[in-house]
Amino acid sequence: MNSVNPNTVVQVSHFRMDFGKKTVIKDLSFDVKKGEVFGFLGSNGSGKTTTIRALLGLYQPTAGDLLVGGKTFSVSSGIKLGYLPEERGLYKKESVIDVMIYFGQLKGLSHKDARTSAETFLARVKLSDKATTRIDKLSGGQQQKIQLGITIMNNPELLILDEPTKGFDPVNRRLLMDIIEEHQRSGATVIFVTHQMEEVERLCDRIILLKDGVAHAYGTVAEVKKQYGDISLDDVFIKVYGDENEQNEEAI
Amino acid sequence: MYNLGTVFRFEFVRTLKKKSFWIMALSFPLIIGAVFGIIYFSNKASTKAAEDTKNQKFSLVVTDESGLLNKSLLTQFGAAESTDKQVNIDKVTKGELDAYFYYPKDLSKNTVEVYAKDVGIFNDSRYQAVAKALLQQSVGLTVDQQKTAVLQDRVAFNAITYKDGKQFDGIREAIVPGVFLVLFYILIAMFGNQMLVSTTEEKENRVTEMILTTIEARTLIIGKILSLIALAFIQILTILVPIIIVYSLFHNQLALPNLDLNNLPIDPLRISIGAAIFSLSFLLFTGLLVAIGSIAPTAKEAGGFFGVVMIFIFGPLYAVSLFVSAPTSPFVGFLTLFPLTAPIPMMLRNAVGNLSAVDTILGISILAVSAFIALSIAIRIFRYGVLEYSRRMPLSEIFKK
Repeated sequence: MNSVNPNTVVQVSHFRMDFGKKTVIKDLSFDVKKGEVFGFLGSNGSGKTTTIRALLGLYQPTAGDLLVGGKTFSVSSGIKLGYLPEERGLYKKESVIDVMIYFGQLKGLSHKDARTSAETFLARVKLSDKATTRIDKLSGGQQQKIQLGITIMNNPELLILDEPTKGFDPVNRRLLMDIIEEHQRSGATVIFVTHQMEEVERLCDRIILLKDGVAHAYGTVAEVKKQYGDISLDDVFIKVYGDENEQNEEAI
Repeated sequence: MYNLGTVFRFEFVRTLKKKSFWIMALSFPLIIGAVFGIIYFSNKASTKAAEDTKNQKFSLVVTDESGLLNKSLLTQFGAAESTDKQVNIDKVTKGELDAYFYYPKDLSKNTVEVYAKDVGIFNDSRYQAVAKALLQQSVGLTVDQQKTAVLQDRVAFNAITYKDGKQFDGIREAIVPGVFLVLFYILIAMFGNQMLVSTTEEKENRVTEMILTTIEARTLIIGKILSLIALAFIQILTILVPIIIVYSLFHNQLALPNLDLNNLPIDPLRISIGAAIFSLSFLLFTGLLVAIGSIAPTAKEAGGFFGVVMIFIFGPLYAVSLFVSAPTSPFVGFLTLFPLTAPIPMMLRNAVGNLSAVDTILGISILAVSAFIALSIAIRIFRYGVLEYSRRMPLSEIFKK
């Protein structure tokens, strides 16, 4: 195990992940520093979600160390985590406020604080009138907002967002970006999995591009752009994954 | 186990808020109440109809070749005597006479013939009842009351048996420990499916990742099980409270037997053993059903396994007589000690008092170990299998992790 730097919130060393005979991650190492917004980029199926799940203990890694706050993550490790997974969902037959209070309490808030936090968030996203509505009666976008609210209701010190803007319209995307910025300003560390390069350019301090189970590029946004001849991140993405997409199209 | 109370409250309260829970919880006592109500009112109506019928007068002619009928009784019944069978049958056919009874010479070989005017499907039985009453009462007048009681199987018997030098009533002794068997049956029948789908909900709603990064899988599963136990108590109350109220207020009107609960035998050891078997069996099957629910991608697919579990649990009911009459047979021994079939034979044999000390210790130990293994497997399967949203995860993959 590598030595732990107090400024490093996440440290991944020689991570390998096999599913049966298929190797999804070959050898991946990176770290995420305290207070930064870290962009986790890659084409579909490149292993971004697998890495996040392994980092959070949902998958057992085949090899390597994945540390959060210097230790393997568990719900009792004392880290205030906010995780918005790629697979979205909530208890559909319960009311918005009940589900938010439930998750708030699970995250360590008192019933009163969880209610206050939920009501404040609902007011901010203009869903106060939906507090007692069943989740399955909300639109897809509204459900995503509720899930985002649950993710941040304990003021997490580590915020992991797996494709958070998926399915959001531009207005709600802007709202999400504002929320991420607010959390960064308040000292939270953010890991941001996305395909949206303009979001990466706007928010991320450092990024990693995952391809063929290894880090294809890793550094600050400026460093990565420079590595590819100072082109835009969109062009970097096309350059790195273009052939892969062509192969996919041919296969289709 | 941090957050156990939160999970318990959430699961408990949201189930209590569901209409489907109350429909299910109240349907059982309502159906039982409705059945008893129908029986009560039906019996009351039948008794009244029989009384009315008995009091109805009708013209009657009798031919008595048996010589058993009492003349004064015939007069009381308003019956005339005749020897011409065919004439009276013709009169009944034409509607000139309501009924004609023909008692043949040898009643042990021949049948009594009853000819009568139709008065409706329910009232027609009155003729046969009168023909029978005439015969029984006439013969009863010639035999003393004791012999009549013997012949009519009306003699009451009171058996007192002894065990270990003390008076012992096997059936009464079995009532309290037997309650666990009834409770187990009701709980599994009512809540089995709920246990099965309790974790598929997280999977189907795609809420698993958020949950598993917030609380331990063990906390979630145990919280869910505890809420199911609490809900089961509510279910039991919805059954027992109406029964106690109805019995206390209406047992005389409903002609229910007087239960002397004060003198019900209480054997603390057997009750404790029954409680232990009940609790461990409940945990074993809860673990098993939760594990199945976690491994199946949808509630519908999990439902397919439910039948198999039910066969294991309730299959032994077909061998109930064996558990009582041949407790030492190898087959009963196998069913008693095989964990998946053990609950019914163990609880029943404990209730009737033929569960040996060795079988008790072995059976409880096997159930305890099996319940622990089932719950551990359920938690492991939920922990690692629940992220497989759309496919059934092979067990080999889960145990490799």
